[in-house]
Amino acid sequence: MLNVKEMLEELNASPYEEIEINTPHTGVVEFVGLNAGDRVTGPSGKWLERPGTLLAHLTRERNKKPIYATQKGQVMDIRSELEGKFVEAGERLLTIRHFLSKEEVIGRILKKALHLFCAPERAKYYFVPEIDAKIKAGGEQSVKVREGLDMFIVSRMKRETPLSYSGPEGIIYAVYFQQGDNVDGGQPLIGVCPENQLSLIQDVVNRVQGEWEERD
Amino acid sequence: MAKHTLLIANRGEIAMRILRACVKLGHDFVCVYTTADEQSGHVRLARELGGPERLYRIHSYQDPSEILAVADASQATAIHPGYGFFAEDFRFARRVETRQRPLIFIGPSWTLVRDLGDKINTKRIARAHGVPTIPGSDRPIYDEMEAVELAQTIFAFQQDQGIAEGCVLVKASAGGGGMGIEEVFDIDKFRSVYRRIRNYAKRNLSDEGVLIEQRIFDFNHLEVQVVAERGGKNAVHLGTRNCSVQSLGRQKRIEVAPGFDPVSLTYAFDAAKVLDSITTHSVNMSLQVGYDNVGTWEWIVTPRGDPFLMEVNTRIQVENGVSGITSRIRGRADGQHGVDVIAEQIRLGLGEPLGYTQQDVTFAGVGIEYRILAEDPADRFTPCLGRIEAFGWREEPWLQVFTQVPNLKDGDKPYEIPMDFDPNLALGIVWGESLDEARKRGAEFLNALVLRGTDTRGEPLRTNVSFLLNRTQTILHF
Repeated sequence: MLNVKEMLEELNASPYEEIEINTPHTGVVEFVGLNAGDRVTGPSGKWLERPGTLLAHLTRERNKKPIYATQKGQVMDIRSELEGKFVEAGERLLTIRHFLSKEEVIGRILKKALHLFCAPERAKYYFVPEIDAKIKAGGEQSVKVREGLDMFIVSRMKRETPLSYSGPEGIIYAVYFQQGDNVDGGQPLIGVCPENQLSLIQDVVNRVQGEWEERD
Repeated sequence: MAKHTLLIANRGEIAMRILRACVKLGHDFVCVYTTADEQSGHVRLARELGGPERLYRIHSYQDPSEILAVADASQATAIHPGYGFFAEDFRFARRVETRQRPLIFIGPSWTLVRDLGDKINTKRIARAHGVPTIPGSDRPIYDEMEAVELAQTIFAFQQDQGIAEGCVLVKASAGGGGMGIEEVFDIDKFRSVYRRIRNYAKRNLSDEGVLIEQRIFDFNHLEVQVVAERGGKNAVHLGTRNCSVQSLGRQKRIEVAPGFDPVSLTYAFDAAKVLDSITTHSVNMSLQVGYDNVGTWEWIVTPRGDPFLMEVNTRIQVENGVSGITSRIRGRADGQHGVDVIAEQIRLGLGEPLGYTQQDVTFAGVGIEYRILAEDPADRFTPCLGRIEAFGWREEPWLQVFTQVPNLKDGDKPYEIPMDFDPNLALGIVWGESLDEARKRGAEFLNALVLRGTDTRGEPLRTNVSFLLNRTQTILHF
């Protein structure tokens, strides 16, 4: 049985995560004057069409690329020594301390309540076109899954193979991967909720909504 | 010759070979790598031979702006694309050569990459220069009557050739990857197949164009290594290679130089004449089009000994080393141990003259190249992902091994095979005075090779070593 109270206490003890902002590619860094302790916002809008706070610019081949905050939070440390320098891809620019929102807390608790279908091995994963189209049209929870259903395309070393779902019948409640990103073996791909447990899941959601206090 | 700084826009064993060639020629180098490749041999070698300042971590090998940004930051004067990635991308080559701060593209001029990069266009160019190509169309066909007439001509040609069961291949001209292709054995069924392929092409490729050509069965895949100087006035060949041992997906696994061995094997045709014919055609065509770097003319040879040009690869190829090990250039200091084709490519790419003629090139012995991969030949050559825990081979004077995988003993930190690339682990090239000796040495190398690991499911890593060993005994048999 899921102990929601205990899990909430655990999360309350450490209610934030630290997000590193790294350079997506090579280029010359130019910060925009933020200091440690400044508050930043993440992307917003129905389709996240409004970018977060501008953090820096990265210029490569005369193309100036803005780097925005990916989450709201507080700037921890800025590597100002990189100002005006050519940096490699993946270089850390700054760290944001992000306090968990209700949705994120729900997501973490549900990961323990749902049936997780995990990646069998390290690879890139994609939904098969039919499932992808259904998710795009009606959201994750519009897709019912059952044992043996061809759900994923596994891509590794330039070869693609199909992967079938195995586990209880139910609806996809959460998707834990980005299509095209590398996923390690054992990492969850989707969380499935059997239809008879939907009320239990809803109960978890309601409790978190009522009991979790957002910090900022 | 002026000292240059070459940016090596590639990874793994080819980056290592380019890097060593730069050092040998006295040029500086800069290497790029991605996070997935941090353990790769080219990163270790660059650090060892040039220090950490010669290494740049980039987001992707396939992002041209990353490569060019690093070229500017490191003050590189030339870019070597290796094979794959940007090697046959004429837009990239053009961008390299025509930007505000131009760089030298170590490869043929971008116009040649463009013109010879298209198989149909190559076929047209080849025919214009009298080079034999596969009987059939050299442009997309849009008219049914014209298609039927062409198919009839091909069937008649095959009958004249004494081919008992003729076959015509109908394929969508804009297609690829084996889709939109059908074989026709009976001219009465041609129209329906033609219409089906045309409809497929219209629906999926937005182009109704269809190619029609003779289907050739049981052919051998041969190559001619051409080396030409800037300006395209001088060109020689470094012999032929036979690349007929391939995986199911038509990817090469063993390459042998020379392409046939009439000294020890019997063929149903005059093999020496075929080799002479394809080398002559390749060099002549290279001179006629003004080809100006290293390149490979790829041929298919039918069981009757008819050679047809298939395509031209405007780049260095994986198997360049097997041509190098069997070629000698008279009067050159390194002439005794074979030719470093990559060093030649760099030298010529930077504008040095060829400095020798075909008469100065001689050939010695037989070379066999093995491509060692983490794959399962018993399961349709499916790649095998995992880690290598033990890897090593016995050093021999007749053996060259190119690999990005470090030498590992049991207990060393394992090498994780990156999942973003082909599962190539190593190339092993053996040399022998004769085919028989080369085969024996090939088997000796493979038998002594230590290659152990674990796949991602915890089972022993599967490799193609047994497959290579089995096929060693029958190479160059037609």
